[in-house]
Amino acid sequence: MSESDNKIRYSVRGKKSRFFESDGVDELVAICMSMAQELWVVKEELALLKNLTMKKGLLTRKELENFKFTIKQKTELDKDNKDFIDRVFFTLRESVEAVDSSHDEPPTPPIP
Amino acid sequence: MTKYVQHGLKIKSKPDEIARQNFMLNMRSYVMLDMATGMKKIYDHNIEPNFKKINKRKPKNGDEIHKTIKKNTYFKFYSSIRCNAQEMVFRSVIPPIERSMQDLKKKAKLLSNSKKTQGSLHIDRNLTIPKSVSAIDVHLMPGCYHSEHSESDLSQGALYDNGVSVFSMGFFGDKLDDIGSSISLFIKKKYPNFKPLKILDLGCTVGHNTLPWGQVYPKSEIHAVDVGAPVLRYGHARAQSEGVSIHFHQQNAEKTTFEDNSFDLVFSSMFLHEVPKKGIKQIIKEAKRLLRPGGLMLHMELPPNKMLDPYNSFYLDWDSYYNKEPFYKPFRDMNPEEVCSDAGFSKNKFVQFIIPSIGQFGKKEIIKSVNSQTGNVDDRTGRFTKGIHWYCFGSWK
Repeated sequence: MSESDNKIRYSVRGKKSRFFESDGVDELVAICMSMAQELWVVKEELALLKNLTMKKGLLTRKELENFKFTIKQKTELDKDNKDFIDRVFFTLRESVEAVDSSHDEPPTPPIP
Repeated sequence: MTKYVQHGLKIKSKPDEIARQNFMLNMRSYVMLDMATGMKKIYDHNIEPNFKKINKRKPKNGDEIHKTIKKNTYFKFYSSIRCNAQEMVFRSVIPPIERSMQDLKKKAKLLSNSKKTQGSLHIDRNLTIPKSVSAIDVHLMPGCYHSEHSESDLSQGALYDNGVSVFSMGFFGDKLDDIGSSISLFIKKKYPNFKPLKILDLGCTVGHNTLPWGQVYPKSEIHAVDVGAPVLRYGHARAQSEGVSIHFHQQNAEKTTFEDNSFDLVFSSMFLHEVPKKGIKQIIKEAKRLLRPGGLMLHMELPPNKMLDPYNSFYLDWDSYYNKEPFYKPFRDMNPEEVCSDAGFSKNKFVQFIIPSIGQFGKKEIIKSVNSQTGNVDDRTGRFTKGIHWYCFGSWK
């Protein structure tokens, strides 16, 4: 076996689970999650840059790669990450909260 | 590095890779805690009342709930996001592992040859990998436990260790050994006169839950088997790095090469639910063969369906359908007491425990639980949630 074969497979083999009847929705969820993840990368790197700038006043690549958040900064970042996830997937929280509010809501007039 | 892989085989991740891993940790927490709570609320308020209206009764079991809830949009999003999150966890750690592979091999070689720790590694090139491993990417981990991408490869071990580090959201503790640490301490306190001199771990993967037994019983000789060569190579170096002597063997737990009556304790951690029923029965028989009279067999596992209410049965069985763990539900439908007695263990020697997580409750609560076993399983047993407890069952020989 040559070293060029030394690749871990990224994809899971076999049949993929599907949950939505409409064509493409399962793929859309996967794409949305990847987009959310990449957006988070930007946000975390920005936070890193901001903290580093405040700390050092100038930037080098080495400094960037070796920077580590303090425990306090990491805690704040984790909270920010959770809030971010909650915002992206707000529609799901809304559907749970609707459980409480739906009982006393006046009925919608019939659609003509 | 990933958060909970800080031993001698830790890898260096770039800032963007760390951010992807952090996102997955928090995303998993969102789906497993927030969304899971939301789904239960929707079930209680909408789905169960509708079911009762139509059927004039509550759902009898998890299957009936599954059949009904799978039409619900929230369930579809929960499931779709959870599947994607599981795959993305592993993808988030692959690039730094690939980049570190040559370095990891060198480090593993040095650690394996180290005389400080007296563990060993025995690879059997002729071992047939069972279909339950070779034919499926178990829990959506690309390449499973056995795939080899180069000579003396240990990348699937690194993938498992670092993947679990992100996946577990801290519930497995700083060394991913919460299950082994909690249960080994419990057994030591529950049975102070039981001092195993020879211990065997079945289906050990990277040995993360094997190590605590070596720490709790430092005089014991510890062996561990798995069918995957890469996880064993990695596990051996990992154990050496942690200073615990463990002898790793590439063997099938259904039929090992060890002699009859040669171990005092034979255990497994989260292993049986990945094995077909026939294999589980054979493993229990093999454990009985290997145990000395007076020895203990113990399996740390997911609680059986018969101990759970229908909703929690449905919730735990989700993995069987969507997480590429097809043997998960068949295992959980089995009666552990019957499995042990069918293998020849005496019915009155059967044991089962529900043990608080050492990471969440501390040693004192584990010691307290030694004399306060209620046998009650609830929605904290074997499930990533606040107040997690671990379930185990087994038998004395």
